[in-house]
Amino acid sequence: MKRILLIARREYAAYARTVGFWLSLLALPIFGVLGGALPALMMSSEPVRDVVVLEEGPQAQGLAAAVQDAVKFEADRRASRMREAAAAAEKQGGQAGASAAGQALSRLGGLRLQIVQAPADLTAAAPGEAREALARRYLGDEVAEEQQLDSVVLLNRVDGKPTARVWTRRATDDTVEDFVREALKTVNRREIFLEAGINPVVVEETERFRPDVTALSPRSATGGEVSFRDRLPGIIGLISGFLLWSLIITGASILLNSVMEEKANKILEVLLSSASATEILTGKVLGVAMLTLTVLLVWGGIGAFGLIAGLPQYAGVIGEVLLEGGMLGYFAAYAVGGYLMYAVLFAAIGAFCETPRDAQTLMGPIMMILVVPLLVMQMALRTPDAPVVQILSWVPFFTPFLMSARAPSEPPMFEVVGTMAGMFAFALFMVWVAGRAFRAGALSDVKLSWKSFAGAIRGGGK
Amino acid sequence: MAAALTLEGVSKRYGDFQAVRDLSFQVEKGTICGFLGPNGAGKTSTIRMILGLQGVTSGRIGILGADDGRKVRDRIGFLPEERGLYKKMTPVDAIAFFGALKGLPTGEGRKRAREMLDAQGLGGSKNKKMKELSKGMAQKVQLIASVVHRPEFVILDEPFSGLDPVNQQGLEAVIRQLAADGATVLFSTHVMQHAERLCDKVVLLARGRKAFEGTVTEARATSKRFLELEGAIEASQAAALPGVSGVEVVSEHDGVRVLKAALGQGGRGQEALKAAFLGGLDVRRFELREPSLHDAFISLTGDNPDIDQSVKAGAEAAR
Repeated sequence: MKRILLIARREYAAYARTVGFWLSLLALPIFGVLGGALPALMMSSEPVRDVVVLEEGPQAQGLAAAVQDAVKFEADRRASRMREAAAAAEKQGGQAGASAAGQALSRLGGLRLQIVQAPADLTAAAPGEAREALARRYLGDEVAEEQQLDSVVLLNRVDGKPTARVWTRRATDDTVEDFVREALKTVNRREIFLEAGINPVVVEETERFRPDVTALSPRSATGGEVSFRDRLPGIIGLISGFLLWSLIITGASILLNSVMEEKANKILEVLLSSASATEILTGKVLGVAMLTLTVLLVWGGIGAFGLIAGLPQYAGVIGEVLLEGGMLGYFAAYAVGGYLMYAVLFAAIGAFCETPRDAQTLMGPIMMILVVPLLVMQMALRTPDAPVVQILSWVPFFTPFLMSARAPSEPPMFEVVGTMAGMFAFALFMVWVAGRAFRAGALSDVKLSWKSFAGAIRGGGK
Repeated sequence: MAAALTLEGVSKRYGDFQAVRDLSFQVEKGTICGFLGPNGAGKTSTIRMILGLQGVTSGRIGILGADDGRKVRDRIGFLPEERGLYKKMTPVDAIAFFGALKGLPTGEGRKRAREMLDAQGLGGSKNKKMKELSKGMAQKVQLIASVVHRPEFVILDEPFSGLDPVNQQGLEAVIRQLAADGATVLFSTHVMQHAERLCDKVVLLARGRKAFEGTVTEARATSKRFLELEGAIEASQAAALPGVSGVEVVSEHDGVRVLKAALGQGGRGQEALKAAFLGGLDVRRFELREPSLHDAFISLTGDNPDIDQSVKAGAEAAR
């Protein structure tokens, strides 16, 4: 036991003492925050464009007003959505922070353009070349900065259909172009309805109508209406599945590299003269497990802190789901079984290899198998009892990931117990198999192949 | 003297390849035993079986009173042929770690590591990372790591390979000191000179079989003494000298030859020299040579210990 702990401690320290480990550990939360915040930050830093809208003659009458209406409609729609979001948050038991966060988001997002008064000379200029020449001037640097425009929209009708020539300061900026296109599509649609004798008010109301759809399920918390709280376990299950997959594969890969390094540096033989193959394997698996647990705790801590600080109204609910449904227990059991299966397998492969290239022979098919739960887990979120999900849950290699994802949907007890028993039985079998392969591989110079690997398992290093 | 190690009829087979055949020998406590043979003769396989890293195909091994090296691993120190330590560890940490695996408390291991590193002239490198040390320095560190727990039995697999002459001398001193402190030392090598200087006993191994077991003197006695002659002499002229039983041409350049003339039973060098002068032979150099362990090995096995006996890919793959 002492040797196991010594090997585990060395294994843990070898990684935990490196700057690279902590950098890579913090990389996920940092990039997660950046990934989430960057689009919002980019949007908020985008300038509000000053746009002038002009009609190119009497035939275009009404188009400028339609574009202005579209701007107003968009602003009203956004404000209404923010109000609804804030109300929903308060209904969930949120506090003042929810509305504050909502307001902050509303400031970040939104339409980044405003219609401004057109300069007098531009309005007075004759439609066509003269007006366009002036538009170019206002979009360039020839005029004073306060007079500069970001876009000039010249509206017209060709064969009765609304058209636009959109001049912009930057050739790559298509925000105004897209917005005007949508506005003119709306105008055109309305005009077609009118021509067909349909009342404009009816068209308006039809377009503005938003049906009130209520999702209901007897399995919701209230036995009726489905709330976000009801959907949360499924989301947490899916995230748990992915997190477990990521942690297990990361841990097993660390182990693979560690054993490969020891094999390449001829350390394994020295270790084997001081400890049994089982002690070495167990110590290394335990050391990397502690490392993986450190990663989990740091990620969990950062996540919990982020939730409590940023979205306190969800933090409590998520904590409730994790504790109430026994999710943490499932997660821990599947993490142990899954890690054990993959860690010993990867370590055994590492014992035959001195370079990653050596390992590719066996790792290729294993990585292909590992893609399967990634695909099926998403299906498990919506239809956790789909036959394919149920059947694959019984495959020990997939059990930890798929059952973690399915756990919130409360699968039948025989499935929970059966798959878990199968997973642990298979994990123990893998420990036995990998132990034999590890012992043989550690002292072997044989080129790794499925044949030599199987031979090593049969021989067990004898 | 009690035996620290006994092998009785030990054989090892890897698939179709017979690495060790019916090997029996013993090493007495407190002695230095050389386990000699060319690369591929089966030395490393035998050492792994002694340590319990690999099972025997047949036969029996007893070490320090146990029937399996794994049962007494804490009392054994082992330096493998292919050496390596954790590159990012310091020598002190590495030595203390391997000492701890053998049951030495970490604090005591670190203390001994510092003392032993100082004694080996590595005091200035105690806190450097292993990857910053030269190959010779790293080998010394590994040797210290294998004996820091003061084992009763030390097994060194090709300990001199890769060392420069100065470090080889230093290692010879370490091995002598280990034996002087009461440890039994078994070391393998294919370089006979080290064994000649160090060993109380040698075991010669060729193609997996024991060719000889005994003292260095006894081994040498199995080979003939010889005369080394240099001059414009024909091999037939040398063969006709009294007491000479056979002649081998070692080299020839511009009519000047170096000849190795083996002396037969009762043959005397002085008589051969006298006859050469009386016969008017052009002898420019004459030397009476006692056989070396190298000569004894060739005489006993018919093999040259410097020639690799490693089996080629097929048999190696079977390992």
